[in-house]
Amino acid sequence: MTEPVALEIAVQALRRYPLRTALALVGLAIGVGAVLVTIALGTGAQSAIRDQVRAAGLNVILVKAGNYRTKGEGGGDPVAPHGFLHDLRELIAPTAHAHPENDPMEKHDHPTAAERLGDSEAGLGGAATLTQEDADAIARIPGVANVASGVHENIKIFAGDQRWFTRLHGTDVDLPLVRRAHTLVTGRFFNERELDRAERVAVLGSVVRQKLFGDDVDPVGEEVTLWSQTFRVIGVTASTNWMTPGSPGDDEFDAVYVPFTTIHAMLNVTNLNTITVTTESSGAVTEVRSAISDVLRQRHAIPDTAPDDFTVSTQATEILAKGLHPNVARVLVGNLPNLEKVTLQELSTTLERAGRTMKALLAAIAAVSLVVGGIGITNIMLLSVTERTREIGLRMSVGARGKDVSAQFFVEALTLALTGGIVGVVLGVAVSAILTAAFGWSTEVSFGAIVAAFAVAVAIGVVSGFLPARRAAALNPIDALRYE
Amino acid sequence: MVRIEDLTKTYLIGEVRVEALRGVSLSIAKGDFVAVVGSSGSGKSTLMHILGCLDRPTSGKFYFAGRDVSELSADDQALIRNEQIGFVFQSFNLLPRTPAVENVELPLLYTKQRLSRAERRSRAVAALEQVGLSDRADHQPNQLSGGQQQRVAIARALMNEPDILLADEPTGNLDSRTSVDIMETFQALNAERGITIVIITHERVIAEYASRVIELADGQILSDSSRQTAEVPMS
Repeated sequence: MTEPVALEIAVQALRRYPLRTALALVGLAIGVGAVLVTIALGTGAQSAIRDQVRAAGLNVILVKAGNYRTKGEGGGDPVAPHGFLHDLRELIAPTAHAHPENDPMEKHDHPTAAERLGDSEAGLGGAATLTQEDADAIARIPGVANVASGVHENIKIFAGDQRWFTRLHGTDVDLPLVRRAHTLVTGRFFNERELDRAERVAVLGSVVRQKLFGDDVDPVGEEVTLWSQTFRVIGVTASTNWMTPGSPGDDEFDAVYVPFTTIHAMLNVTNLNTITVTTESSGAVTEVRSAISDVLRQRHAIPDTAPDDFTVSTQATEILAKGLHPNVARVLVGNLPNLEKVTLQELSTTLERAGRTMKALLAAIAAVSLVVGGIGITNIMLLSVTERTREIGLRMSVGARGKDVSAQFFVEALTLALTGGIVGVVLGVAVSAILTAAFGWSTEVSFGAIVAAFAVAVAIGVVSGFLPARRAAALNPIDALRYE
Repeated sequence: MVRIEDLTKTYLIGEVRVEALRGVSLSIAKGDFVAVVGSSGSGKSTLMHILGCLDRPTSGKFYFAGRDVSELSADDQALIRNEQIGFVFQSFNLLPRTPAVENVELPLLYTKQRLSRAERRSRAVAALEQVGLSDRADHQPNQLSGGQQQRVAIARALMNEPDILLADEPTGNLDSRTSVDIMETFQALNAERGITIVIITHERVIAEYASRVIELADGQILSDSSRQTAEVPMS
């Protein structure tokens, strides 16, 4: 008997018991589907954690204009009065005080920029030492992935009769690459052309969008007013991570993003407040950080004896200084030159260890699911073969050889297992997608998980369907025929 | 056609040895119509299973069409069952939930030369016609009466034009009227097509149809009588 006949017989036999076939299929499909969803949820959670850490900026280096360091790496010196910077600071100070957010008569329903960022970023310490050319030079350093120039202001934004105090970020087209945790929920980010032409286009953070337009209105194409100038809204950016949605007062989603060239044109300035740099790997942060210092010192022609006129910070220093009084933070960070090195390594190690634990947990859950699913499949298959031993006897009595019976049951089991496996994969992928769509849970169906779940289910199905049949086929026909 | 010499068969049921056949010798010629009679436990079913290559003897010789069956492989025995032997069982043994025509087709699935689907179907339909069931081809066994089911089984047994037809209590589950129908069918097959027929029965009335009656008791042949004329009253 050749295989096409075996297939025909098998399909005929499967059709004969639609309920049993359906049960076996459902059992298989649910087994495979459950395993896939479990793995997808686990992997999704793992990725969410990883994204969060990445979003927190393990591989992000922030270069700020100005230097608040009170004690240099050489140690000893008290406040270093480096002339140029010192003078400029005083020059800028009055302007910063005139900022509307600092008007004591103005009412705020959110933290002021000074409260959330510390003075150095709120305009007081902003020294005009960084330029776009510096940013271009940093972009050429090996190991640097993306560079985003930044000009930051605190502004009042209007839309119709709604207004909101928020943070204005003049930035580069690369920002979406730097901020991994951002997603454009509607519209798009501005492009090179809009940047080059300093166009008045704005991407709203999710919090600003909600305050000005509400959640139901798509603000794309609407107009907002900044500094009495009309800007066209082209997109809304929100958090990709359901665990960390935007909230009023944060710097990322309670914010408005426009091309930095637009701010330069409107305020008639050319300096940058910050340059945000990402490295290709988090391990390269320390190296890239010192390369940036070298490049900038060289570009700014700073003699060896003088301190930097900029600050290069990594996430490690940010984390450490967070929540401390600015002065305390300055002393602390200034006196720990190798801080980020140690902390970054420790962070990476911890992260790696956490990832391994997660993987082990996932593997254990998946294994248990597969075993449970496998037992279900085996039960149905064994039951079916026992019931069908008489059929095997009958087929042998009319001339079927052992291998004919084996071929039939093998093809039957394979057909069932493959169909059930495919349905299960579709089911698993669909349920994962539904969980993500309906509840916002992060899921990640990996190709490896699909292959593993499918292969194991099919193997169990085939073996449990085929082996008992082969044993039955080895009986004397009369013993199979009389089986009860 | 069939010759057995000093055949024994011993079963082991738990600790107990059951000697179903204790040295049986006989030969059946081509075209014979043999009835094997005996009370239950006399070993007649065991004898038939061995004759049909469904079971193997414990000792003794069994020649089928001149070949020593004990030296044949399981696959060769399957081939003999497929090509040369037709079975009719007391409980019909039809595949449940399967249309009559597919039940009849069953032996054709395992033939040496593979037949096309259409050819299998047309031969099965023709066989059903011969037993007068062409209008029931698509009925499932549970939609057929006992007599109809047995006729489907006979059509199946005849599918590969066997040399010998073995029937184990073919009328055991049928009423007397239907039994007569079935027995007449066997008789016609024997007379018109020369098929060797061996039936097992415990009913004397049924054995009357045969030209030769072998009586078994306690695993041994008690009597073996041939009737000169195989003319049996056509009821």
